[in-house]
Amino acid sequence: MSANITEIAFQSTQINGMNVHILPTGKFKTTTIVTMIEQALSEETVTKTALLAMVMKRASARFPETKLLRAHLDFLYGAIFDVDVTKKGERQILQIYMEVPNEKYLSQDDSLLDQAIQFVGDMLTKPYVENGAFLEKYVTQEKETLRKRVESLIDDKMKYANQRVTEEMCQGEPFSLLIQGRVKDLPAITGQELYQYFKEITTSNPINIFVVGDVNPQEVGQAIQKHVPLERSEVQALDISNSSKQVSDERKVIDRLDVNQAKLNIGCRTHITYKDDDYPALLLYNGVLGGFPHSKLFVNVREKESLAYYAVSRLESHKGIMMIMSGIDVNKYERAVEIIKQQMDSMRQGNISEEEMSQTRATLSNQFRELLDSARGMIEFTYNGLVSGRKRQLDELLKGIETATIEDVKKVAAKVDIDTIYLLRDKKGEA
Amino acid sequence: MQTTKFEQVNETVYNETLPNGLQVYLVPKQGFSKTYAVFTTKYGSIDSHFRTRNGEEINVPDGIAHFLEHKMFEKKDRDVMHEFSKNGASCNAFTSFNRTAYLFSCTDKLDDNLNLLLDYVQEPYFTDASVEKEKGIIGQEITMYDDNPDWKVYMNLLKAMYKDYPINIEIAGTIETISHITKENLYECYETFYHPANMLLLVVGSFEPESIMHLIRQNQSAKEFPPAPQITRLFPKEQAEPAQAKIEANLTVGLPKCMIGIKERDQGLTKEALLKRELATKLLLDIAFGTSSAVYERLYDSELITESFDFDYSSEKDYAYTIMGGDTPDPERLVETIQAEIEQLKQKGIDQDDFERAKRKKIGNFLRSLNSVEFIANQFTSFKFNENDLFTVVPTLESITREDVEKRLNEHFVVGQMAVSIVRSASQQE
Repeated sequence: MSANITEIAFQSTQINGMNVHILPTGKFKTTTIVTMIEQALSEETVTKTALLAMVMKRASARFPETKLLRAHLDFLYGAIFDVDVTKKGERQILQIYMEVPNEKYLSQDDSLLDQAIQFVGDMLTKPYVENGAFLEKYVTQEKETLRKRVESLIDDKMKYANQRVTEEMCQGEPFSLLIQGRVKDLPAITGQELYQYFKEITTSNPINIFVVGDVNPQEVGQAIQKHVPLERSEVQALDISNSSKQVSDERKVIDRLDVNQAKLNIGCRTHITYKDDDYPALLLYNGVLGGFPHSKLFVNVREKESLAYYAVSRLESHKGIMMIMSGIDVNKYERAVEIIKQQMDSMRQGNISEEEMSQTRATLSNQFRELLDSARGMIEFTYNGLVSGRKRQLDELLKGIETATIEDVKKVAAKVDIDTIYLLRDKKGEA
Repeated sequence: MQTTKFEQVNETVYNETLPNGLQVYLVPKQGFSKTYAVFTTKYGSIDSHFRTRNGEEINVPDGIAHFLEHKMFEKKDRDVMHEFSKNGASCNAFTSFNRTAYLFSCTDKLDDNLNLLLDYVQEPYFTDASVEKEKGIIGQEITMYDDNPDWKVYMNLLKAMYKDYPINIEIAGTIETISHITKENLYECYETFYHPANMLLLVVGSFEPESIMHLIRQNQSAKEFPPAPQITRLFPKEQAEPAQAKIEANLTVGLPKCMIGIKERDQGLTKEALLKRELATKLLLDIAFGTSSAVYERLYDSELITESFDFDYSSEKDYAYTIMGGDTPDPERLVETIQAEIEQLKQKGIDQDDFERAKRKKIGNFLRSLNSVEFIANQFTSFKFNENDLFTVVPTLESITREDVEKRLNEHFVVGQMAVSIVRSASQQE
């Protein structure tokens, strides 16, 4: 029995100067509300945005103490509430996440949805402010938490290597910035400045609200109208310059830390992004190369040579970057680079079998159809269309994956350049 | 085929035990695109000392259950992962202390994928050469874990809590122990633990139950199995108290990591009693240390904990323990403070409002988890292995009283049952 494809059909309207997208569905036992505030990724604002996310979730005018705020969320049957930042190409997205159970499954008939929307509205319009500033206590504490978060990047060597190669590869480009910001910016930020910044982005930056669940769109619209009374100025699209640098020479970077396993990361520029016509062919390229257990990297680096436990490639589709990642014995560095390059060359020559293509088409389609079972997944897919400026329907993307040919993938392969080869290794051996 | 309806959460479970002993459970999810299937054997890293079918007592090398899991994917004339890829399915497997699970998820060709899953797990194929080759791959997996401070602080805590019981051993073994693995002992373990009577198949997602059960019956009746072996696992007797109070290790970290473990004294609970103890303890932990507790606020305000602070209670018939902790600038002071807070809580007792709130939160969180076929797939089997049912969590939670939680506070939060594990950079050494 094959699953039916259903479009991800949000109903979109404008409310209080925000774009509101509602998807009624009986699939889930909860209702998910995600608010996305878009900001250009830049040195000036990256740390402020990250800090703001953390300060916002400490309190609101109605719940000035964090403990009270959290107790209220527990009382709303363990409503999930979080404010966080993510990176999409050269954008930083401040994301307010809220999820509450649907009343249908509870013995009480509390109006949980209305209370959840009110809670999100409080965050956006009624923060806890004293004398035109966020409370100093929260600002100071969250600076410290953010500092620790940035410094703990080193705990996860895979993530650490990934950030380091991104910094090296994208020097001078906003994309190189760590999404949690820079420790050196923290001391100068005051509660007052942060509140000004909060007002600025809630007034002028693009805001999209997504609601997914067993809901009545009209009621949701009315609740947003009532509980999120933002006074918004004319919202301008942000000026995001997505430069795609030409690569002249491969760079090599080596870092040393106390590690047992070396991390080999190869940063590549694809010169193709989400909005481009050859995006589906790029997905296939990445899939054949290193996206799956049938891919060339897995088969050749892991299965044939036993060099690694993992050897994969991942896309950052808004920036047009592909990252190859593997954990290896440091003595096998040269060999691993050689095999990886051989696989990329082989794709450039069009050495791709029909079987690799059909496996990759099938697994990619499966991944995209799986989005339909997750509220978060559907929101993410739709939002990618909005921020990239190309609203693809799911069917359209699936068709693109189905119809792209070996020739199309070969054309993509010709565009992909290795930019930086990065190695995180132990402190032993020659320097 | 039996049908059980769980009205409150609006889920239906279909089940049947096949003539070869395999237990099959089906959980259809209306409106979903995806189906998840998990084929699990009650065999994990702790099962390294047992009697073979001939009654012979043997010890096998640490890490062998995990090694066996890796080797199940390789066949004489085909690669299982590639077969799944052809059908668009993504497949995976994992080994824990007490089980090994093989799974896939797909949005298409469920019949093919399900046959493939059943066939490859029931067709072992090991050669000397492929066993040797796998040692390189698993060696890198072990090395990767060696660099992971979160894993290190956790495994070390288990070593501190358990003296003889084999959950103090790395699931993947060490490079040394896996070097002794041979195809012969892989077959020995396979034949002991992979009989259908020791296994459970669960399918969750988008399908019609009758036709899927039919397919599974057909697949299984076409195969021959020897009579189910009597499985005798040989476990050492574990002392009630922790093996050691404190354990430390050095790895490069931003902030030191500190985990406190509380080892459960009494063992042997089963079925509902086991589930009830687990849920009451989880409520207790949330009331005592949850993000809306006074203790959490004090610890966070004094910068002794960060947002990474977390806790959980693991509960099995033969072992159970609480783990709590996270990143902290001062592990020693964190431990002292938590112990002092526990004593205060015992003086004060459990507040009725806190109890009610924690209960509502747990119920809501559980409902949310049911949105995820992955969650159901991962949890359902471990509940079944303990003869419980995932979908009875809500009514069981509702039946728990404040007194139950208070009882757990006094019997579980005992300083003498605690052990501490710390990981810090060499430069952070006191």
